[in-house]
Amino acid sequence: MSYAYLFKYIIIGDTGVGKSCLLLQFTDKRFQPVHDLTIGVEFGARMITIDGKQIKLQIWDTAGQEAFRSITRSYYRGAAGALLVYDITRRETFNHLTTWLEDARQHSNSNMVIMLIGNKSDLESRREVKKEEGEAFAREHGLVFMETSAKTAANVEEAFINTAREIYEKIQEGVFDINNEANGIKIGPQHSPTNPSLPGTGGQGGSQGGGCC
Amino acid sequence: MEYLKSGLKSVLGGPQPGTQPTGAETVEKLVHRVTSSTLLEDRRNACRALKALSKNYRLEVGAQGMDALRQTLEVDHADCEIIGYCLDTLCNITSVENFEEEKEGGVRLNVNVGEQFTEMFIKNPDNVSLVLSFLEEYDFRVRWPAVKLLTSLLSNKPKDIQEIILVSPMGISKLMDLLADSREVIRNDALLLLIQLTKANANIQKIVAFENAFDRLFEVMREEGWLDGGIVVEDCLLLMLNLLKNNTSNINFFKEGSYIQRLAPMFVIPENIEETGWSPQKVSNIHCVLQLIRTLVSPHNPVQITSVCQKNMRNANLLEVLCGILMESGVPADILTETINTVAEVIRGNLNNQEYFCTVNAPSNPPRPAIVVLLMSMVNEKQPFLLRCAVLYCFECFLFKNEIGQQQVVQTLLPSTNNNSSLTTGQLLCGGVFNLDPLSNWFSSVALSHTLIENPAQKEQLLRVLLATTLGTQPVSLLHQCATFLQQTTKLQSKIGLLMLLATWMAHCPPAVSMFLNVPGAMAFLTAQSSATEFDNNEEVLQGMCAFLMGICVVFNDNSVPNYSKENLSQLIEKRIGIETYISKLSDISRNEMYAKAAKQPQLKAKYPNDLLLEFEFCKLFKALESTIVKTLGAQKQLSNGMTELSLSEQENGLLLQYKDVIRDQDRRLQELQRELSKVRAEHNDLHVQSEEIRIANLQLQDENTLLKAQLSAGAVHPLPDNVPLIENGVGDDRDLLAKIKQLEGENLEKDAELERLHKDQDDLLELLTDQSSRLNAFKARLRELGENIEDDDDSDVNSIDENDVK
Ligand SMILES: Nc1nc2c(ncn2[C@@H]2O[C@H](COP(=O)(O)OP(=O)(O)O)[C@@H](O)[C@H]2O)c(=O)[nH]1
Ligand SMILES: [Mg+2]
Repeated sequence: MSYAYLFKYIIIGDTGVGKSCLLLQFTDKRFQPVHDLTIGVEFGARMITIDGKQIKLQIWDTAGQEAFRSITRSYYRGAAGALLVYDITRRETFNHLTTWLEDARQHSNSNMVIMLIGNKSDLESRREVKKEEGEAFAREHGLVFMETSAKTAANVEEAFINTAREIYEKIQEGVFDINNEANGIKIGPQHSPTNPSLPGTGGQGGSQGGGCC
Repeated sequence: MEYLKSGLKSVLGGPQPGTQPTGAETVEKLVHRVTSSTLLEDRRNACRALKALSKNYRLEVGAQGMDALRQTLEVDHADCEIIGYCLDTLCNITSVENFEEEKEGGVRLNVNVGEQFTEMFIKNPDNVSLVLSFLEEYDFRVRWPAVKLLTSLLSNKPKDIQEIILVSPMGISKLMDLLADSREVIRNDALLLLIQLTKANANIQKIVAFENAFDRLFEVMREEGWLDGGIVVEDCLLLMLNLLKNNTSNINFFKEGSYIQRLAPMFVIPENIEETGWSPQKVSNIHCVLQLIRTLVSPHNPVQITSVCQKNMRNANLLEVLCGILMESGVPADILTETINTVAEVIRGNLNNQEYFCTVNAPSNPPRPAIVVLLMSMVNEKQPFLLRCAVLYCFECFLFKNEIGQQQVVQTLLPSTNNNSSLTTGQLLCGGVFNLDPLSNWFSSVALSHTLIENPAQKEQLLRVLLATTLGTQPVSLLHQCATFLQQTTKLQSKIGLLMLLATWMAHCPPAVSMFLNVPGAMAFLTAQSSATEFDNNEEVLQGMCAFLMGICVVFNDNSVPNYSKENLSQLIEKRIGIETYISKLSDISRNEMYAKAAKQPQLKAKYPNDLLLEFEFCKLFKALESTIVKTLGAQKQLSNGMTELSLSEQENGLLLQYKDVIRDQDRRLQELQRELSKVRAEHNDLHVQSEEIRIANLQLQDENTLLKAQLSAGAVHPLPDNVPLIENGVGDDRDLLAKIKQLEGENLEKDAELERLHKDQDDLLELLTDQSSRLNAFKARLRELGENIEDDDDSDVNSIDENDVK
């Protein structure tokens, strides 16, 4: 249950590129072929390990808000990482990357790690954006790049974990101010000396049923 | 000064010399000064005066000063004092409340002034952003009124403000930062603001949670002493409730953020609670936490979310703590009731939690299971009604999807295990079904029916239960006794309870049907009720329920009782009641408002005993079986008429064709009507759009009207009274009237011009006045230099107004 660090992520990009599916694949290891609005997984969490350290990822899917950029903007400041997603079978989603990136850069803290993701790599026959184009865009804007498939799960783990590793390294380098929660990073309870103690006896509850996440 | 003032008035031909200037005039002058004065000090004074007038002369200040105030917020944004005055003034004029002082002041309108001014202010959304930006100013004089102004705007136009704040950059972040303000007033008012802001807006709720709201709120509660804290703790909890209610994303976040683990320690009840008692605030705080817990495990949430939360609550010992409160002595009844409801939802449908609940013992001597103690309250007339309802709900939740629990309860009634002497759940319920209190009858019947839901084995087991009614007589079966009591009791509530129990029991259980059909008089009773044509209030439900039970006797009939075979019963219904009447009796149930209320949620929502008639699970059963019954009766009828599709005579075939034609015809008309409907819909939409446009135009006119009225009172328009009799008398001659109007219009124009001229004169004079006054000051200064002692006359009349008002 306890973690060394907690990172907040957001997933952004045009409607239909597969943001919700990526989140679901990462947290629940399943794929939802038909878009089911009733599921409404707009928030997900998972524990990962980097360098032998437990790291909790809290991920916000900006579902249904693509049309309202200004709402999405409210999430930038508090996020440590962002997955910027386009759909390799729809060029216009690639073309919109610049505006997404501008928005993100303008409203986020300067250290936010942005991972560029070309999703739906399983649909090779319908590909409209070459992998090299994604790589070039990433290089040009200083992003990490990866092609994924939320359907086959290819590279999905890697995308989330590599982003975390990048953040983790920045912390080691002392780039991030980890005491400012507005950066989307929290230090785990037992790692922080200033952690406010809980009321009553410090009896650790949930010891039995641990790994729910 | 006074000299100059009266001189000015005589020039203007205003009110008699010596009378005070009207409020409107003063406001106008002040507004002018705010907009035109080049000295900050001067503008500041004017704003302070406007603030002082903004309660007494709310309408005038709002109508004339709005633009000036807004402009000042921009121009003088660096001066905390003047911004403070402006924000305070705006706060007063947009307030939802009406001030005492307003009555003395100027024009009174029947419209909601605060809302009108809010509308005017937010017409330009940038104004709201401007106010938001003042939240970043640390100075108390600015930050506090900015919070209050936003609260005021929100109360008047919640939806609009929510949308504006949602899209203004960092808007919500700025508000969240206020929770860390060390000045408690600001922090507390920010809490209230956030409570309003998060009402029924999932997007805002999500962002507020994203901004670490839960961490911050737990921190505030810790500072305030958890549940022993004051109203601020309650506010924190209310805000959390807003964030979680119907917001699965946030519930998920709450659960993943391990906040559930932080709830249990809040309930620690001090040892000496019996002496200290429960303060009203503590009661409120506990209520809020209980609501919060229920929101996390609400039956309306997606199942997977509720069950994970339930599991976490068990692991975090929260369930244990709640059960502890149940068994605590001296807990106020309303808290006890709500705790029972909460425990109910924490265990509902979760086998682990249900099993735990089963093992909780009351600290009595000898120890009794908590379930038994609770059920004792349920069948006890002297206990509060709502508490009894809660117990039933808790018991239902204990049995929900819990085959083992169901079996355990039924087990306590079976002959073999009946030799132990302690009171059991089953015995309590059986006693309750037949005692003299109709409410107990109803509660117990429903409780017992829940041991049978989706559990065929227990339906058959319960058939084995025998009751010794009076000493020495033959024991009778429980079902037999239910059917007999149904005929004997005169209480509607008891009857309905029993009918729900029997219906649940006999559905999908032919042996139960067969046993029921063998009870003397049972069928006759149902038939008589179902065929009755008159009824008192709610008796239609009774008749419908009897019809429903008859239907169950038909559908789940194994033809083992000769006189009441499937066929016999169908004919009985057809001949004695008539199919149509029968069907309409059935639908009387679902048409009743009691049905709609009960079918909404598992929890009983009753305020008074009489509100209890139907119950959630029964409604589900009814819904599932109604059409089956109707279909079975229809098929039965066809069978008895020997009519199947294959054995149609020529004549019948012709009839069939005729019917088909009729149907085709009706189909065609249906389509026609549908087309017409969509046409009408389109027209309706058009009209709607038009009406919306008109509404908007109307709003604009209203604004203008407010302004004009205020100006009217300021004396800028000529009085009308002269014209009024003219209109009243002049029914006779139009031409005369027209001429007169023409003439008046002419006069009006002239007067306007005159007014214009006078205004100019006034302006000139004012300039002169300023000139004079600065010269005067210069002279005074010189005099002082020369050693003359002169009284310091207040430098402006405005300040003196201000001071009077402040007093
Ligand atoms: N073949 C394929 N389809 C995908 C993939 N990811 C998402 N989809 C489909 O794309 C559609 C949109 O996905 P969704 O996650 O709702 O997109 P969002 O609007 O960005 O959240 C859905 O029909 C998904 O089934 C993928 O990797 N491969
Ligand atoms: Mg989505």
